[in-house]
Amino acid sequence: MHPDTTGSWTPVALSADLPAGTVIPARIPAGSIALWRSESGRPAASANRCPHRGMSLSHGFVRGEALSCIYHGWSYAQAGNCLRIPAHPGLTPPQAIRVKTYPVEETGGVIWVAMGEPSANPPKFEGFVALRSLMAEAGIAAIEAAAGAKASPAGLVEPAESTGTICLLLSAQEDRQTLLHVLLKGEAGTAARIAASRAAESLRRKAEDLQKKGIAQ
Amino acid sequence: MKLYDYILSPSCYKVRLMAALTGVKLELRPVDFHPGAEHRGPELLALNPAGSIPILEDGDLLLTESSAILVYLAAHAAPEWLASNKPEEAARVQQWLSFSGRLTASLGCARLHEMLLRPGDIGALQAQGIAALRELEAGLVEQAERGMRFLAADRPTVADIACFPYVALAPDGGVSLDPYPAIRLWSRAVRALDAFIEMPGIHRLHELKPEPHIELGKA
Repeated sequence: MHPDTTGSWTPVALSADLPAGTVIPARIPAGSIALWRSESGRPAASANRCPHRGMSLSHGFVRGEALSCIYHGWSYAQAGNCLRIPAHPGLTPPQAIRVKTYPVEETGGVIWVAMGEPSANPPKFEGFVALRSLMAEAGIAAIEAAAGAKASPAGLVEPAESTGTICLLLSAQEDRQTLLHVLLKGEAGTAARIAASRAAESLRRKAEDLQKKGIAQ
Repeated sequence: MKLYDYILSPSCYKVRLMAALTGVKLELRPVDFHPGAEHRGPELLALNPAGSIPILEDGDLLLTESSAILVYLAAHAAPEWLASNKPEEAARVQQWLSFSGRLTASLGCARLHEMLLRPGDIGALQAQGIAALRELEAGLVEQAERGMRFLAADRPTVADIACFPYVALAPDGGVSLDPYPAIRLWSRAVRALDAFIEMPGIHRLHELKPEPHIELGKA
């Protein structure tokens, strides 16, 4: 979104999609990350590559407060240091074995990850509740065109009243893909939330059509 | 019950998984699907002229459609895996059982193309697979909003087992599962079921068992 993203926050996932004791893949401008939540509920983000053999750590698993690689079981603390190498049970792993980690903040049901040292907290969208995330094969411009509104500097699109009530928090990905986090203004019942999810699908279809037709580049 | 089985077939795995989850003992008869193409040989064509596996034989009952086999196993041993008499639930089970055929035709064919070099338009197959995954994702999002973790109810049914294998193996056909958070949670819920079994490419949740420890000096 911005040419210089050092120190800025990226909305990578919704809190509800990362239960305690799980790891998922996510993306920030620096590349692919493993986003995980320990059993005690603390989120963490690391480079998505085990220093041992390069396996994606997002394929791994979380036990207690550690993330383990699926390949040979090397496990890492939230600070990134290697805690255990199962093939060498008597060895205390040297401090040099570590994965790069990134700052993580959770606000309003959205998980944000920063590169470098962020100078401010991630944006807060008061009065919004998170619904779901979906990936669109469309760039920011096509999504703005489909929504009939521009994204704010924080990446929030509030569509024109005529196009619906859902708001979209955008995160540009590689290859002109965009991750859409669907936010609703205020609490809504089951029927309204299901309708909003369907509205988001329609908006994505419209944005992808515009992208294909090359109307929005 | 005798299952004509191939270890790498997701459709055969549906039957093995359902049998494991419902406690049915199967007699496995391995089929040399690749490279022998035994499913197209005279012995198996006599059982199933369509030349596909799985085939389930139980007395004079011969079943060749995996969804029908799942229903048979459930009705036989664990009817709670079938739909209840609620109209929406009964319809959702049928909806996703039918939908599972589209997963086979898209993600399944993409996987055969990538793994066994079967002919096909890989771009079109992957696009159909992605369209199907998006439908599944939307369906699961809506179920979660209704307070249900599985496709047709808040408990697993034959519909979940019919859809799970080809979805879990989508990456074999070059289709990423990264963009689908609801599918990821559902896949975890299926793999967390008691008596869940693996197949090559679909692993259990390691974190459900305590960390193994090697005693020093014995290695």
